[in-house]
Amino acid sequence: MRHVRGFDASRPLGIGAMLAVMLPLVLLPLASIFIFGTSKGLGSFWAALTAPEAVFALKLSIVTSFWATVFNVVFGLFAAYVLSRHTFLGRTAIIVTISLPTAIPTAVAGFALLLLWGPYGLLGQHLSKEFQVMFTPYAIILANIFVTFPLAFGVLMSVFETMDSSLEEASATIGATRWQTFWHVTLPSLRGALVTGALLTFARAVGEFGSTILVSGNLAARTQTAPLYIFAKFNEGQIEAANAVAVVLALFSFVIFSVLFFARERLEDK
Amino acid sequence: MRPGESYTKPEIEGAAAGGAAQNDAAAAASVRGVSKSFKAARVLEDVSFDVGEGEALVLLGASGSGKTTILRVIAGLERPDAGRVFLRGRDVTDLPARERGVGVIFQSYALFPRMTVEKNVGYGLALRRRPRKEIKEKVDSLLALVKLEEHRWKYPRQLSGGQQQRVAIARTLAYSPEVLLFDEPFGALDAQTRVRLRREIRALLREVNVPAVFITHDQEEALELGDRIAVLNAGRLEQVGTPDEVYNRPETEYVATFLGAANLLLGVASGGRVEIGTASIPAREETARFRDGQAVKLVFRPEDAHLSIGGALPEGCRRLTNGRIEEKHFVGAYERLTVRLDLVARRAVAGEPPLYQVTINTEERRAGLPIFVTRPKPETASTPLKVGDRVAVGLTAFRVLPNYALASERASRILDAGK
Repeated sequence: MRHVRGFDASRPLGIGAMLAVMLPLVLLPLASIFIFGTSKGLGSFWAALTAPEAVFALKLSIVTSFWATVFNVVFGLFAAYVLSRHTFLGRTAIIVTISLPTAIPTAVAGFALLLLWGPYGLLGQHLSKEFQVMFTPYAIILANIFVTFPLAFGVLMSVFETMDSSLEEASATIGATRWQTFWHVTLPSLRGALVTGALLTFARAVGEFGSTILVSGNLAARTQTAPLYIFAKFNEGQIEAANAVAVVLALFSFVIFSVLFFARERLEDK
Repeated sequence: MRPGESYTKPEIEGAAAGGAAQNDAAAAASVRGVSKSFKAARVLEDVSFDVGEGEALVLLGASGSGKTTILRVIAGLERPDAGRVFLRGRDVTDLPARERGVGVIFQSYALFPRMTVEKNVGYGLALRRRPRKEIKEKVDSLLALVKLEEHRWKYPRQLSGGQQQRVAIARTLAYSPEVLLFDEPFGALDAQTRVRLRREIRALLREVNVPAVFITHDQEEALELGDRIAVLNAGRLEQVGTPDEVYNRPETEYVATFLGAANLLLGVASGGRVEIGTASIPAREETARFRDGQAVKLVFRPEDAHLSIGGALPEGCRRLTNGRIEEKHFVGAYERLTVRLDLVARRAVAGEPPLYQVTINTEERRAGLPIFVTRPKPETASTPLKVGDRVAVGLTAFRVLPNYALASERASRILDAGK
């Protein structure tokens, strides 16, 4: 509340204190990526970025994240629809299990996938050599799906649960089948949630490290994603190579969150 | 057993047949013996009524009376536990909502937010895979009918509540529904818009001649909208009749008090009169269904009581007793008075049945009973009354209803039906 008389000190003090905490914790680390990345001139930055291994790593990250996003949005939509429309024994247990990967350490997730699909894993041991998925790009997609599944599902589920049921009932009384109602009425109302869910999933998948490093094998120019590339180059002492890719990833997440932040209201109702 | 049985029954049937169809085959919609429970709660109990061709029927009841559930049962959004639903003689109880061809106007209108007005209205025809040209022509004529031609490209959220409602009506009319079902159609609107819109809808319905069922808790709305009114109380139909019938000849105390104000006096039927304490009013016709000594309720509207300072009452007005004006309020269109009736407990006659004792309680025995009386402006101007005046009280119209003193009205009716 503003004071009627005199100078209100809480305003500059509050803003100042907030910035003082945020600067070293969040803002300065981000700034230093850009400062270091371009400190030796834009030419060397560009050279580091266009190195074949770096380009491959960025491409691999984008492709694997894309397929993981497609799967998680489509299946997340299906799962949210089924779970919000039907009540059955064990429904809550399923919702909790589906949402669990949010809380599981990503290294544990990668390890679990290895134990299932690895050459000696529960399922993997029955697969012949040419169908082994671990240490291939498919393993990265599997890891991304596992780790990011709760994101799109959570967004869609909350929209389903707050949706006005009279819209779907109106559609039914007008003469629509369940499928027609879903296609013409339910799905258009989910547009905002679908975009939000997809962007969150994609952003999270592109940055995934812990599970990917375990299941991919981290082979340069074969199964090395962008975060793994940063880690590898840093270990080799090639700070500039790591920094160039880091700048791209940072910018990328910045763009996605700007879209989420500003486009959300337009996509959703009102 | 009771004479009441032979009297009330034909009256109820007469009311049902009067406004509606003469037989089931011609009724646009019929509900027969529908019951429904949600978990342990009984929401509807053996509800039956007809909606005639082109008729507007209003289901009137307090919240929780089950009126929305009836609507959803007719629409096919809810399955009844027992009973059948017929649309033009066809049993649709087992059909899903989409195969029934009824139009539901939801309280929230439920317009599709991602479709334009035009697309909303044409949705039913598009689902039926009609040629594009036919859809366009139909949509054009419906938008003209509801006067929304210039809004055809707008989205629902860009329209006012009343406009949205008209889109919702046009959307259902597009596929020529068997019956229109309105769920609390004016609940979300302010009082002035409400009055205007219900006149508009009434005129629109006359124009398209589609039978309609409205649900509402607003008695004024019910009286104005309905060709007939069905009064629901806790899942049961109390009375079905024209607005005049349910207002002027209520069959139960609930109907009398739910539709407008009513005075209730406990009395005894005796020799063609109703006795209330020492007062008595001639009511040969009204008491014919009761035996002598039966406990009854005298029910009358505040506007049906006539006060006379000189004791002279107009023709057709039956004298009840005298009273004293206790309070006087000016409430705009009329004057409201509280009149305390001179009622003294009647002395018991030796050997009479104990029911005679059921009259007025002890406190009122000394002070008399208060009633509300309203008088229109011309009368207040010509014969002004003031607090303290003694007046003769006469009634131009009243109802005599059975007084089930010991059990609930409902339970007693079930007992009656069993006999």
